[in-house]
Amino acid sequence: MFAAKSISADHKDLIHDVSYDFHGRRMATCSSDQTVKVWEQGDDGQWHCTASWKTHSGSVWRVTWAHPEFGQVLATCSFDRTAAVWEKEAGQNHWLKRTSLVDSRTSVTDVKFAPKHLGLQLATLQLSLLEPKQSAPSNVSSGGKVQIHEYSEVQRKWNKVETVVMVAEPVHDVCFAPNMGRSYHLLAIASKELSIISLKPLRKDPAAGGTGISKFEMRQVAVFDEHESQVWRASWNVTGTILASSGADGFVRMWKANYLDNWKCISVLKGDGSTGEGPASIPQNSVTSGAPSSIPPNGAATNGSGSSVVSHEPPARSMNIKRNTGWPWMDIKKDQFKLFY
Amino acid sequence: MASSSEREVDNISLPLPTREHATLRSVWGLGNQLFVYAANRDPPRQSDGRPSARPQTTDILDVRWNADMYGPVTRKLVNESHSVFVMLQGQVTSHTGSALYSQLKKASRKYRSVLKACTLELQAVESCEENAEKRSYYDDQIQLLEIVQLIWSLCEILFIDISPGEMVLTQLLNWIQSHFSYGRQLAEEVIKEEQADTHPAYWQAVYRLLLQGDVDRVRKLLSLHTCNQTQPFASVDELLKKMPQWRTTHAMSLAEFDLKWRHWREECMRRYEEGQFTAFSQLEVVVQILCGDMLVFSEHRDLCETWYHLLISRLLFQHPTVRPTDLSLYAQECMEEFRRAGQRMGDLDNILLAAFEFDLHQVVKDSSTYLSGHSWWFVAHLTDILHHCGQIDSQKLAFGSNLREYLLLQYASGLMSHHSLWQVGVDYLDFCPVLGREHLKLFIESLPLDSERKANKLLHICQERDLSEQAQSICKVMGMRCTDDGRLGSALSWFLRSKDVPAATRLTERFLQEYKEHGRFSHVDLLDHLGPTMLLTKQLTFLGKYREFHRLYQEKDLQAAASLLLALLAERVAPRDFWVTLLMDALPLLETPQVVLGTQQTYELMHCLEELTLELQKHSTNAATNIGARPKSPGVRVSATASTQLISESDLEKLKFLRLALARNLSRAILHEGTIAPA
Repeated sequence: MFAAKSISADHKDLIHDVSYDFHGRRMATCSSDQTVKVWEQGDDGQWHCTASWKTHSGSVWRVTWAHPEFGQVLATCSFDRTAAVWEKEAGQNHWLKRTSLVDSRTSVTDVKFAPKHLGLQLATLQLSLLEPKQSAPSNVSSGGKVQIHEYSEVQRKWNKVETVVMVAEPVHDVCFAPNMGRSYHLLAIASKELSIISLKPLRKDPAAGGTGISKFEMRQVAVFDEHESQVWRASWNVTGTILASSGADGFVRMWKANYLDNWKCISVLKGDGSTGEGPASIPQNSVTSGAPSSIPPNGAATNGSGSSVVSHEPPARSMNIKRNTGWPWMDIKKDQFKLFY
Repeated sequence: MASSSEREVDNISLPLPTREHATLRSVWGLGNQLFVYAANRDPPRQSDGRPSARPQTTDILDVRWNADMYGPVTRKLVNESHSVFVMLQGQVTSHTGSALYSQLKKASRKYRSVLKACTLELQAVESCEENAEKRSYYDDQIQLLEIVQLIWSLCEILFIDISPGEMVLTQLLNWIQSHFSYGRQLAEEVIKEEQADTHPAYWQAVYRLLLQGDVDRVRKLLSLHTCNQTQPFASVDELLKKMPQWRTTHAMSLAEFDLKWRHWREECMRRYEEGQFTAFSQLEVVVQILCGDMLVFSEHRDLCETWYHLLISRLLFQHPTVRPTDLSLYAQECMEEFRRAGQRMGDLDNILLAAFEFDLHQVVKDSSTYLSGHSWWFVAHLTDILHHCGQIDSQKLAFGSNLREYLLLQYASGLMSHHSLWQVGVDYLDFCPVLGREHLKLFIESLPLDSERKANKLLHICQERDLSEQAQSICKVMGMRCTDDGRLGSALSWFLRSKDVPAATRLTERFLQEYKEHGRFSHVDLLDHLGPTMLLTKQLTFLGKYREFHRLYQEKDLQAAASLLLALLAERVAPRDFWVTLLMDALPLLETPQVVLGTQQTYELMHCLEELTLELQKHSTNAATNIGARPKSPGVRVSATASTQLISESDLEKLKFLRLALARNLSRAILHEGTIAPA
């Protein structure tokens, strides 16, 4: 059933992130050795490294591709407190730094491009040196750690529409499933457990008019504690039918719903490891309160009121959505750049 | 059912290290593909910022699954079953009633024959294969296909090809005969022997064949026995000859057959009880089987190999007219019999039992878990047929559609991950009415655009299905790629196809810039054949028209060229920074021997020139004040800060020439028009 092929990435240190371009023929890896490598799949199915260059003066945490509609563009973020945007030079395997975002005073831990219909926008996430501010005490008491925000076209701002009360532990990752025609949205939350929440949009109150905030009927579809302790990451496949999660037990697990909508683990991937001490036990992390944030692949709201973003309480990190200027391709869909805050 | 849920989980061990403080992480690839790598635990902490001292392995594993269908032989299965599938879907909409029913039966047989052909081919390939590893791979595949055929044929008998008033056992007997061939093999070996009955497996062959109801062969074998002339042998032969056979051509009802069969069995019993066969103990077993003796079946259980063979054999000699609904009772008995003998019942046994119990949902469910690890081919196609037969209720499931669509989506998703089978997948998605389209959209967005050909294929698919957003995205991506490769002409044509205004504008400006620098056009072909697409952007319209002007000029159609040029200027189609170039282009037209530009046209040109000069002057004074109100000569000077808007000294000189030429042309035109006018 399974076929595994090894790609020797040849980084001099631990790989932090692997990112796959939208069409699946390119891959970028980043590592503590401060470099980024770009890989291309040849006709023989083998992966070849086409570029490798030093990007930052610290560990590179994340690397991510912009949609190919914008050409070949990568964004990276690093311990050196910067995030950078790279573009491949036309006709060559050479990557040029287009911009370096130096706003952060701390390590930049995540970087993500916006969904392509918003144009080329970038969100970065940084570690906060400040004590987590408890701006909304009610949230803390109710224990909700995940909030759903929705962009309102009319008000031009993000509104908090829901708080997921089912998850009370620190959250490490959230991920919306691509909506392939379901009447509801699926949200995977990686926390102490892996939970899958379904959000069914309720009909908007017509009296509230266009400014009405959408309401969702939330249901916990599944909770899994198979990872035994923290779940670090969760990600959906292209159609939002399979969820892959990686956790503190050192395994990658895949989850899938059968036709009765029962979610089950369908496979477990594990290393055949050398140290053989079994799953590593992870001491409680002091900085777990902040977590990578994600922009869902597409608008989570149904009736054209834009897309939604999920952030976490308490706000240990601040989020900037940057508008890039002075970049020759930046004028795509000019008007849509109004959508930043 | 803890055991079954455990069974459903695949445990995969990957050649990656497991360390303390490390975890495996995964990234989705295309379709059923994951990249797995070892990484530090998440999230990265400040203290992790420094490169760790330990050298780490940095391998990334490219893990794929459901890849079984991608072998060269099984791909044929995919393609051939695809055409059967598509045809069937067409017939479902155009036929009804019995016509549809016969088509469904036909389709089921076609699927089975495709399967059979595939198995045979795999066997041929396997026998030529030297590599032991590959051999075992092929062996697995063959086994899988055999199992699939076994289940499919049973389901066909019980659910698809149902004929009330017929004896279901005849079909079941065929089913057993085609899947258990060892008895026939043995018989052939035995017959080759000079003295058949000395062959150690002589009696085994006889029993095996008899248990499958293969009366003709049994008689043949018995006739080879040295004692075949003796009374007991003759008696058995007579009994076998008399054994009632169900023929569809006989106009006989089940009740009539049953009566006949009972008479025959009574005769068998009578002869057995008379002790006719005591001299030959082996022959006695034959008659015991004919009598349907429970004990003898238990004793010779092993000759049946499986409980379902035993079931059919027992039914043949005990209840040949069994009704389908009663099958489950006997099936459980036989299964129990084997279980008592210490045989473990596996997934296949449960699936078959569920089929005998007419629990189709269980069949599909178990087949999904048991077989779909390899491929969803089987359950998807079988369920589709059963759905059309009305055997599986089409209730809406929690995920948004029915079981048929769920399974088809699973199968198609596997195909979409493949570099060439994706086209087959598209057709399957088309027949998923509820969620197929959305799936297709998501897949199309992530399919790699390896070549222009593939991009065009995808575009065609998008157009057929009215997926304009996806089509646009494809064109845009292709355009960007061409730009990256420096093929600006193809890039522009891709952008034009996607009606991508900003990108087309950008490229057009690049073309115009190129013209300004080099004084010539690249991609002339494309520009000459723009047609109505040039109306997409102002710049492009100008570029197209300007190129047309050059063409007219080259073709010496000076009148047309002149009026086009004038139109470009007067109607403000041309961007301002191109005016100097355009006005310069007018120069040769003014200097021709004949008068090309009339008075009115010359006035208009002069007007344009005046407008431009005025603007330049205004601009330069503005620029001068901006710089610091340094007194400047009233003439137009190129200022460093505003260089983009202004023109060079040499151009300025040229404009002076132009003024002169215009004046000269005006005088010529007045004269010219004056001489012709009198009439």
